[in-house]
Amino acid sequence: MEILVCIKQVPDDSVTVHLKANTGEADLDGISPVVNAFDTYALEMAVRLKESSGGAVTVISVGPEGTENAIKSCLAVGADSGYLINDAAFNNAGAPEKSKILASSVKYLEKSTGKHFDIIFCGKEATDYSYGQAGPQLAEIMKIGVVTDLTDIKKADAGVCCKQETEDGYRTVQTGLPCVVTVSKPAYDPRYPTIRSKLAARKMEIPVLTSSQIGNITAAKTANITLRIYEPPKRKCGVKIKEKTCADSACKAVGMLADAKLL
Amino acid sequence: MSQYQKVTAEFVKALKSAVSGKVMTGAEINEDFSHDEMPIYGKLMPEAVVEAKTTEDVAAVMSLCNKHNIPVTPRGAGTGLVGGAVAVDGGIILSTAKMNKIISYDEDNMMVTAQAGVLFNDLAADAEKHGFLYPPDPGEKFATVGGNVATNAGGMRAVKYGTTRDYVRAMTVVLPTGEIVHLGAPVSKSSSGYSLINLMIGSEGTLGIVTELTLKLLPLPKEVVSLIALYENLRDCIAAVPKMMRANLHPQTMEFMERDIVNVSESYLGKSTFPQKFENKDVNAYLLISFEGGDDDSLDGVIEKASEVVLDAGALDVLVADTPQLKKDAWAARDSFLDAINSTTKLVDECDVVVPVSKIPDFLAYIKLLAQNYDFTIQNFGHAGDGNLHIYCCSNDMEIQDFKKQVSDFMPKTYAKAYEMGGLISGEHGIGYGKRDYLAEMAGPVKMRLMKGIKDVFDPNGILNPGKVCCKL
Repeated sequence: MEILVCIKQVPDDSVTVHLKANTGEADLDGISPVVNAFDTYALEMAVRLKESSGGAVTVISVGPEGTENAIKSCLAVGADSGYLINDAAFNNAGAPEKSKILASSVKYLEKSTGKHFDIIFCGKEATDYSYGQAGPQLAEIMKIGVVTDLTDIKKADAGVCCKQETEDGYRTVQTGLPCVVTVSKPAYDPRYPTIRSKLAARKMEIPVLTSSQIGNITAAKTANITLRIYEPPKRKCGVKIKEKTCADSACKAVGMLADAKLL
Repeated sequence: MSQYQKVTAEFVKALKSAVSGKVMTGAEINEDFSHDEMPIYGKLMPEAVVEAKTTEDVAAVMSLCNKHNIPVTPRGAGTGLVGGAVAVDGGIILSTAKMNKIISYDEDNMMVTAQAGVLFNDLAADAEKHGFLYPPDPGEKFATVGGNVATNAGGMRAVKYGTTRDYVRAMTVVLPTGEIVHLGAPVSKSSSGYSLINLMIGSEGTLGIVTELTLKLLPLPKEVVSLIALYENLRDCIAAVPKMMRANLHPQTMEFMERDIVNVSESYLGKSTFPQKFENKDVNAYLLISFEGGDDDSLDGVIEKASEVVLDAGALDVLVADTPQLKKDAWAARDSFLDAINSTTKLVDECDVVVPVSKIPDFLAYIKLLAQNYDFTIQNFGHAGDGNLHIYCCSNDMEIQDFKKQVSDFMPKTYAKAYEMGGLISGEHGIGYGKRDYLAEMAGPVKMRLMKGIKDVFDPNGILNPGKVCCKL
């Protein structure tokens, strides 16, 4: 099974981001770039599928110079090859353009390597802006099916069987190939690289694809206009209820809710 | 019968008029003040609690109590593990928890001055914002820095940076008589008479109450990477430690852990991080090692060499925690050992011995054999780089009196073995109330006489933290 995983490099989401006082833009100075958490889940799921069903995992990322390290970190945990898509022409690409760039890259890679990707994995969203558009848009452009918010996947007779997270719980979706899937948090965590896999990944080359290979994707008139960027208001501290017994604590909590006219 | 006076309503009135902080008595006193994190040594309520706001508050309390022969027990965040902050003979608990301001940074000389009640976690995070590392790294992040100084807290980075003692430049101390003295200076050397500041560090609040500290900082390392080395057995795991030290790679931390305690912690966290199998072999011990450096490339070279060392020494494999999430997960399991034990165990007692690193496997083998004679179970973990072991006696089904009786038979044998191997009774938790009798037994009469003599010089009336370290009630 040929598997493609699309990853994005984002600022470390464990660090609180503030806005620059002078420009009002997000202040990312000193915040380490990391692979988007949902993409790491997608990669782990893809590698597990490869390990159980055979095949290979290829990683691609649209990003600035330096994203090679993010791709190499994926090679250290089970991906077999990786490509960076980088071109000054793509610098201001929004979400729809990035999906077009990904779709063109898939076409180029299939043509140049002779591979035909059976499944394209994406994280369900990126932790920077949380748009959640890449997977569905990519499927739309490629005219193939998409299953979103997976927490597990298995090879089935005519395709794959997906465990999809819903607002109420889970449901099983079976789909044919090729397809796009987006991944939520599975029951397991991404694996650790071993020292051997990390050193081997460090030595691997990451080819860079540019507009000369995948075409010049021009930005359509954007559908989104940013009016203002602002920090969310600080939440007030909670109230700690610690009575002598659990029953007393429960009574106090109910009393407070009643006083606040919430019951 | 106590040698001290009781706290009267009249005395409380005098206290209230003498201090700017809050004075609490009777039902106003929270039950938390009756114990620290090791309640097995007894829960005892003080007669009054004073929340000092200033050094002058502390001096006023000490002066009054010294005059009226009322015992004073200093307390920071109450996170100690030896009953040191418990008022074992009544009197006043003097809390420095509200003295929690970071006063200033001297960036050129790389120092920070803070009140003693600042939490370690807050100080470390604030120093980081200023581009500095405060190197001590005790497991309990919500202890006060004053408490850290009182016990000479060490922690995981002690293998590279030493303990709290190595980072205290100067301090303001209130003596039991109420006098305020300034010890040390914002300089890096001293050959200026007896080192009173070093006497104060690790004295567990028995010689004076530290109210303000000037602490040394280091430049903040840019990158930190952790390795998890997997071993079939503890002996191989510990054998790698001296080899790593000799390899000149300067690990920042080097913690060992066995499968049992990792299971308890991962079950508590609901997350499994440390592999139990490697190529069909059982993994029974782990070495968690961190390195710091200026950039990823230089660190890659270091971790490559370090991996060669541990693999040559018998590691099955080495995992690399090189992203914020992987590092967080790897250290979450280690950082949660004590919480995991406490949350799953009704009765807990512990010891904090330190032995030469090469003796760790033999010492633990002895402890495991010894523990077979008792009804409680043993959990252990520790700082492989400095031989500091935390051994916990745990029971969910024993009666408390029986548990205490069996533990009191187990502990002296444990300490005797540590001494026989060239070790000491405590690496970083201190003696307090819970380990006082063991110290007397292990240290012997001459050292105890010297300690008591020092105590008498500082505290002629014996009112400061009585019943702790070298003083019997």
